Amino acid sequence: MPCAVSLVRYGVSVVPWCDGRDGMYGWIWRHLPGNAWVKALLSLVLVVAVVYVLFQYVFPWAEPLLPFNDVTVDNQ
Amino acid sequence: MRVVVRTVSELCITAGALIVLFVVYVLFWTGVKADTVMDDQIDQLQNQWSKGSVRQQPQETAGASAAPAEPAPYRKGKPFAIMYIPRLGFTWNKPVLEGTEVGTLKKGLGHYANTARLGQEGNFSVAGHRRTYGDPFKDFPKLRRGDAVVLTDGTTWFTYRIDKGPYKTVPTDIEVIDPVPRTSGYTRPGRYLTLTTCDPEWGHSHRLIVWAHLDSTQPVEDGKPVALRR
Repeated sequence: MPCAVSLVRYGVSVVPWCDGRDGMYGWIWRHLPGNAWVKALLSLVLVVAVVYVLFQYVFPWAEPLLPFNDVTVDNQ
Repeated sequence: MRVVVRTVSELCITAGALIVLFVVYVLFWTGVKADTVMDDQIDQLQNQWSKGSVRQQPQETAGASAAPAEPAPYRKGKPFAIMYIPRLGFTWNKPVLEGTEVGTLKKGLGHYANTARLGQEGNFSVAGHRRTYGDPFKDFPKLRRGDAVVLTDGTTWFTYRIDKGPYKTVPTDIEVIDPVPRTSGYTRPGRYLTLTTCDPEWGHSHRLIVWAHLDSTQPVEDGKPVALRR
């Protein structure tokens, strides 16, 4: 998602958060409903959800690709 | 220009957070998970043993003149024994599971399928993580000649004594788990044990090996072997 200036034309952007306003996180923040407190709470929920997905699915997949797991002599 | 700078900084923050989280996962979370899983495996074994489902049906009927009777075959990915190594700590005990797949080694130590059974003639070979997943073999280099490696399968205590190690070798050196490993100094067939882990601690370029021979066996009814008494 590299966001180049050229993507912003006539005030409309190809990538939604590349509208030249306040970046990806700003875009998320603006699209969360409610007042600042609700937004903060929702952001927290989002962060927890992302961390959960990473720990539960992404990291267990990525970890065996690193060398700490090779402890056998025949790599069965 | 401002958009580019902002995007790059956001990406950097995201990548940084991701890396920090991954390090937390590898250093800390795999250990937490492995400890609970290993405790589960040990509980599972102890339940199984206390229910008396340790099958010993062909009790001394066949030509099993040696002390251990012919037991049921190990099931892949299932625990069948508990290992104790006093040198690694008096509370150090880990389940031994059949097979050395990545998923199996997350739950405990892995017995190389197609090496000898526990206490039998041949080479009972076991692999374990040096780091991550509970760090079971973190202190592997501290093992010395004469150290005890005690295993139980629910009916018998097996006490092995380390003869040589830690010996450093390359990952392709599969001879180390041969029935009579050439580099171990053993010359005759016997009841041996091999432990393997990785070296350096966080790397994968080499393997550390120790070899042991079966020193004594005793039925569980006779209590813990001498090596485990304080």
